[in-house]
Amino acid sequence: MNNGKIIRGLVLALAAAPAFAQTTAPAPPSGRLLASNCFQCHGTNGSGGFERLAGMSAKEIIGELREMQRKTPPKMMDMHARGYTDAQLQLIANYFASQR
Amino acid sequence: MVKRRDFIKWAGGAGISLTAAGWSLLAAADGKRGTATVAAGVPTGTGIKGRVVVIGGGMAGATAAKYLRYWGGTGVDVTLVERDTSYTSNIMSNLVLNGSRTVTSLQYGYGNLASRYGVKVVKGDVTAIDPVGRAVTLAGGSRLAYDRLVVAPGVDFDLLPGLETAAAQAKAPHAWKTGPQTTALRNMITAMPNGGVFVLSIPPKPYRCPPGPYERACLVADWLKRNRPGSKVIVLDANPGITAEVHSFTDAFDVVHQGVIEYHPGVAIASVDTTTMTVNTNIGNIRGNVLNLIPPHRAGKVIAANGLADAGGKWTSVDVLSYEATVAPGIHVIGDAAATTQPKAGHIANQEAKVCADAILRLLSGRLPDAAPQTNSACYSPITADTASWLTATFAYDPLTKTMQPVAASSGEAAARSKDNFEEMTKWFTALMADSFA
Repeated sequence: MNNGKIIRGLVLALAAAPAFAQTTAPAPPSGRLLASNCFQCHGTNGSGGFERLAGMSAKEIIGELREMQRKTPPKMMDMHARGYTDAQLQLIANYFASQR
Repeated sequence: MVKRRDFIKWAGGAGISLTAAGWSLLAAADGKRGTATVAAGVPTGTGIKGRVVVIGGGMAGATAAKYLRYWGGTGVDVTLVERDTSYTSNIMSNLVLNGSRTVTSLQYGYGNLASRYGVKVVKGDVTAIDPVGRAVTLAGGSRLAYDRLVVAPGVDFDLLPGLETAAAQAKAPHAWKTGPQTTALRNMITAMPNGGVFVLSIPPKPYRCPPGPYERACLVADWLKRNRPGSKVIVLDANPGITAEVHSFTDAFDVVHQGVIEYHPGVAIASVDTTTMTVNTNIGNIRGNVLNLIPPHRAGKVIAANGLADAGGKWTSVDVLSYEATVAPGIHVIGDAAATTQPKAGHIANQEAKVCADAILRLLSGRLPDAAPQTNSACYSPITADTASWLTATFAYDPLTKTMQPVAASSGEAAARSKDNFEEMTKWFTALMADSFA
């Protein structure tokens, strides 16, 4: 039996056991989907764009967002910042703080 | 890097059971045979596995394909089916009409999705979707099996009466899908005489990019003012009033481009005669040197052709927690083709794609989709060749109506147009396209 056949056999064995995969995948990181609302302007995973967010401290991110929420007349990001609750801001900030 | 032979020896020798992480290693080892190539932006060992086919490589489809791999890892086999070799952005395409951008500058290839994320890009046309057998058939007969299907075909157009032939359509282009019609419309504008008339019609909601037609009226007026003095832009809007950025466009029509733009709301087009270049409407017959008529929209053909359309035959209703079609389990519809409370536009299509990708990955892991997704829409609208306004809105899931509802405090438009906004627009566009295609 060649290696290709072995691999195909293993693939089939795995494919036949979907319940197996369902119990092993860890949950996605908390806040990731919410934070992905920032990626369009700040780069995938906060890696660039207008301002790099990945690796900033959570305190700094929340401080900036709170300041933006109070600015008048609001610029685009000032208005966007008003779209999240304090709990959501904390989730977003924690997510970026944990990224490199 | 572990060579395939070594991996098998190691796996066999250690007598390990194949864990989910092992699946990823296996996929990596077997990359050449096609499950998935390990690319820099794709994690191994997420424990998620499955086959996802994505139809359509626009803003929604490209983003979904990228994030299924970027978040899902090497165990998620992603195939993107697209009929064109590259995507041409509709965002910024009004800047082709005033000569400040080229169509070529708006093109984005699929090379990054393949090389960085291991997305298999297949150039082809879908002939059939088999929702029971869970497979997609392409022209030429090849069959792609899937566990989850994402359909993102964008929009198609109804025919306005009188524009049934290709010759008539060429004389009254909509240029609402960037391509040859956009270039043709630019050439028609530059061929206008002084004191000429540009007629622009806006279809009833919902249509792609709500502020887009008003933005177009502004940019064409701005160019004509400086280059074809005495010319007019007549806007025939099927809607009862300006549908987006009311403050900015009212100011643009009444003040900035005063005397150049003539705006008519509530206009119904009865027919179009391209021999006399006349639009017959409920407010009279309007003649123009250029007719730029944007027809009513519907979802891309693949939707109705495969029984995915709602009763009205135009769009697909979805569960906005996962974008799974109400009529078809396992088939997710994102972007402009989906009937939701969110606007049809590229920026929010990118976010819908992320919500959908995240939901599919959770479903493949035996979990439920995120119960409280949030999305956002944002765009800048040029008012002149160097100033712009902006529009933004955040949408949150409302469990009572099961719809995405705008968060009032975060929905609004620019207080005034500015050069700063215009500069930010370029930065926004670059970042958005990179998040979708790179």
